[in-house]
Parts: sequence; C-alpha cells; structure tokens
Amino acid sequence: MSSATQGQSGPTDKFPVIKFVSIAIISLVIVSPLFLLIVASLKPDRFQILAEMGSFKAFIVTNPTLKNYGDILTFSGNQPFARYLVNSVIVLTFTLLGGMLFNSMAAFVLAWGRLPGRAIILTLMIGLYIVPQESIVLPLLNIMNNLGLADSFAAQILPFWASPLYVFLLYQFFSQIPRDLYDAAVVDGASPFEIYWKVFLPISLPALATVAILLGIETWNQYLWPLLVTQSNYARPISVGIAGFFGADSIYWNLAMSASVVMMAPVLAFYLMFQKWFVSSVISSGVKG
Amino acid sequence: MLLPACIIISAFLLVPFVMSFPISLTNQRLIPRPYRFVGLDNYVQVLTDPVFWQALWNVTRFTAMVVPVQCGFALAMALLINQKIPGRNFFRGALFLPAITSMTVVCVIWGTLFQFPTGPLNQIVGFLTLGMAGPIDWLGDPRSSMPAIVLLSAWQAYGFQMVVYLAGLQNIPADLYEAARLDGASTWQRFRFVTLPGLRQTNIFVLIITTIQAFKLFTQINILTQGGPRDSTNTVVQYMYTVGFVGQKLGLASAVAIILFVIVLLISLVQRYVLRDRK
Repeated sequence: MSSATQGQSGPTDKFPVIKFVSIAIISLVIVSPLFLLIVASLKPDRFQILAEMGSFKAFIVTNPTLKNYGDILTFSGNQPFARYLVNSVIVLTFTLLGGMLFNSMAAFVLAWGRLPGRAIILTLMIGLYIVPQESIVLPLLNIMNNLGLADSFAAQILPFWASPLYVFLLYQFFSQIPRDLYDAAVVDGASPFEIYWKVFLPISLPALATVAILLGIETWNQYLWPLLVTQSNYARPISVGIAGFFGADSIYWNLAMSASVVMMAPVLAFYLMFQKWFVSSVISSGVKG
Repeated sequence: MLLPACIIISAFLLVPFVMSFPISLTNQRLIPRPYRFVGLDNYVQVLTDPVFWQALWNVTRFTAMVVPVQCGFALAMALLINQKIPGRNFFRGALFLPAITSMTVVCVIWGTLFQFPTGPLNQIVGFLTLGMAGPIDWLGDPRSSMPAIVLLSAWQAYGFQMVVYLAGLQNIPADLYEAARLDGASTWQRFRFVTLPGLRQTNIFVLIITTIQAFKLFTQINILTQGGPRDSTNTVVQYMYTVGFVGQKLGLASAVAIILFVIVLLISLVQRYVLRDRK
C-alpha cells in the first residue's frame, strides 16, 4: 500500500502519531490547572504554595501533608467550613428528593393525564424556560423576606423542587413510552399514581438519572442565589463559603485550595463512576431547541 | 400530581417574574418601607447611567471574545476526539473535567494562575517571550482583565460545547464522507462541504446558548474582580447585584432585570427564527 492511497483513505488513518501526541499534550495542558490545585492543597502552608507556584515545583510536592484538610474541617472563626459543607449536603439532599418527585409527577400528568388545560400548561412551562434565573432573583429575594424565609434552608430548597426544564425533559421521555403499557395498567385497575410509581418510574431510570445529575450539579455549584439569600453562616453553602475564604485576602490561600478540592471531590467521584451518564445528561439538557 | 410543581413554579418563578414589571415602576427597596409609583424613572436612570452602558459594553465585548474562542476550541477538540485515536474515551473524559468543576473552584485555581507578578501564567509568558514581555497584572489591569476572564470562562465551559458538537458529528452519515472521498475531495473540502453543513443545526444551537450564557456573566466577576478594575469587568448582572442587593434598590434592579430578560428574549427569538428558516 503506497502512502498516497493511505492519504486518500480518510481522516481516520492520517498522521495517527501526530494526532495522538497532540491530543495527549492538549489534554495534559487542559487538566494541569486541576492537578496544580490538588498538589497545592497538599503543601504545608501558603508561603510554600505561593513561593513554588511560579516554577515546576508547582507540580511536585516533596512533603505532602493533609494538614490543610484537617485545618479546613476544624476551622471555626468567621468561616466555619465544615458547617458550609454540611449545609450544602442538606440543601442537595432535600432539593434532589423533592425535585425528582415533583418534576416527574408533573411530567407524567402532562404526558398521560386527561387534563383539560394540558397544552396551555405545557406552553407556559416552555415559555417560562426562557426567563433567566438572574432576572428574577431580586424579586424572589423580596418574596422570601416577606415570607420570613430569608437566610433559611427552605429558601434554597423550595424554589428548586420544580423547574420547566426538568419537567419538559421528563415529559419528552414519558411521552415516548408506548401507549400499551399505560393501557395495560389501566385495565389492571391501577390508579394514576400507581401507574406513575410502579410502571413508569422503574423504566425511566435513564431520564431520571439525567435530571438527578443536572439538578445535583446545579444545586451543588449554585452561587448567585445563595449569595443573596444567606446572610449568615447558618445556611450558607460551600460555594459561597469558599468565595469568602478567597475573596477577602489571601491569608487562607492554603485553605481555599483544600476547600476547593473538598468541594470538587464528590462531583469528581460521581463523574468517574458515571461518566457516560454525565456526558449524555449535558447533551440532553441542551438538545431541546 | 401536577399541583406541587405548578405551585412551586408559580410561586418562585412566575410570580417574581410578573411582579418585577410593577416593581420596576416603583422606588421599592429590599427593606420594607413605604414606596411609590415613579413611572419609567428607573428605566431612565439605568439607561442614562454610564456605568450601565459600560457593563453592557463589557458583556458584549466578553461575548464577542468568548463565543468564538470557546466554540472554536470545542469544535476543534470534538473533531480531534471524533477520530480513531487510541484511548480516545480517556481523553474525552479528561477534556470534559473542567466542565464539571464548579465556577467557585475555577476562580480559586485561576486566581492563583493569574498571580502578579510571579504566578504560573506570567512565568509561561516570560518563558515564551524570552523575558521580553513583562509580567502582566492579569486581573488588575483594565486592559487584560476581560481577556483573563474570557480565558478562564472558556476553559471551564468548553466541554459542554465539545460534547454537543461530538453528538452532532456522530449524526452526520458516514456515506456522505465516503461519497466526498470518491469525488476526490481533500480533507479541507470534506470539512467545508460535509462536516460544516452537517453541523448547521448544532452550530446555531451552540452559538445561541453560549451567547445567552455569556450575557449572564456573573459568578467569576463577583468572586475575582467585583466588576473592577475601573469597571472594566462590570457586567449587567453584577450591576444589577450592586444596585439591587448592595444598594438595596429593588425597583431600580428590577428595571435592570427586565432589560436583561429582553436581551435574552431577543437572542432566543433570533434562534427560533434562524432554526425555523430552513425546516
């Protein structure tokens, strides 16, 4: 086989080594800031972190220690990090519990219920999807203040129990389930809730996982809303907490590093376990026009 | 069963959205105190405030930079990773990592990388230019602050566009490439006349979504620069945050919120129009 015909045979066969090397180098460069973060968090103090940041020592740690992690979890003072972490876990847990239930119930009814105003509700939901969260947060804050929910967990959980995007994603999935399945359950005398709970949910795991991943990441990383609604450490989540560590001055540089790793670790762990689902979730969150 | 979701969406999305219109016509504040109808005063005040125009100009500038950089890089990576390269699933997994990193964490990392004068990025710049370019005060210099924000934002978010492009590429029928090859098309011609037209829908979708997200720029600004230096990174949402939350002027901030909504709505309408065009 001459090299000319090989060149003709398509992009897949040309320059395999060059392609491999370039993708390897690019991946390395892209991931290096994350690697840098983890290495820095293992260094004993902020002076060493800052001093070594500008050289190749930034990627090496000769005297690794978990001191920063111990410090961050026992740190009290103005920024009780352990508290932020617990707060985030609480908000995440209850947001997911309610969010999965209410979004999927609504989607089920919209897809299969015999409700008069179904089409109108669906149109309204899709319309509301365009409204950016950023443009409603201040009136929403005002509502929370009036309800006496300022600085509470409820204020960070309740608004996220239902969202047009997730209702719509699940609605699309439910509508594709064959009619026979629904009819058979009706013939068996199942109530709508039983059909939803025992027939539809068990076969909808891919769609439910998609919503759980998207809602989970969104909740964990949420910044603007908790920044507005938490005025004290009582219910403040980790995202806003770390910004407080970092923003004021760089005294706690080492702690900001270890705190960031702690914040990232659970997401990373889930990602490594369910990589395929993560990627397909992101795609389906986008593909709705 | 539909009721809980309807109540929640009404109470926490529909009502605040609808309320922001009347609120924007008053001088209401976040703290309860008497307020009155002021007509369009808030809109006049916002639209005659040079800081607002600076913020709007900044997000426009940001969008003009971040959309091509982020989407271009994402497309390039998608094309590369779509080939038969050993370990490509591994590389795809690695390339997607920044996309699952929280913006707060991204700010800690890049705040460190941008350190002036001895941070890693300045060392790299010094090394590549043989010390000819002096250290850059990335976030502290009005000339470099927005490009610096573009860099970290594109790094964080390109993975999303990459996987969407990848899905788009895999939807292009392989026989189209085969036919182009039989016709003797070069690599560039195959890209130009098969790949690009095949990605048309994906392209429009990705560009619009990225544009909308860019106009809502806030978190990285709020953490790293607070809109500074000298308002060079101020954005519409940061402006809204400053007048509404820091300044407690709910009426004024609602006017900004509605202006933001109108911008996002217009971009969405452009998307609808362009996509309907050829269906």
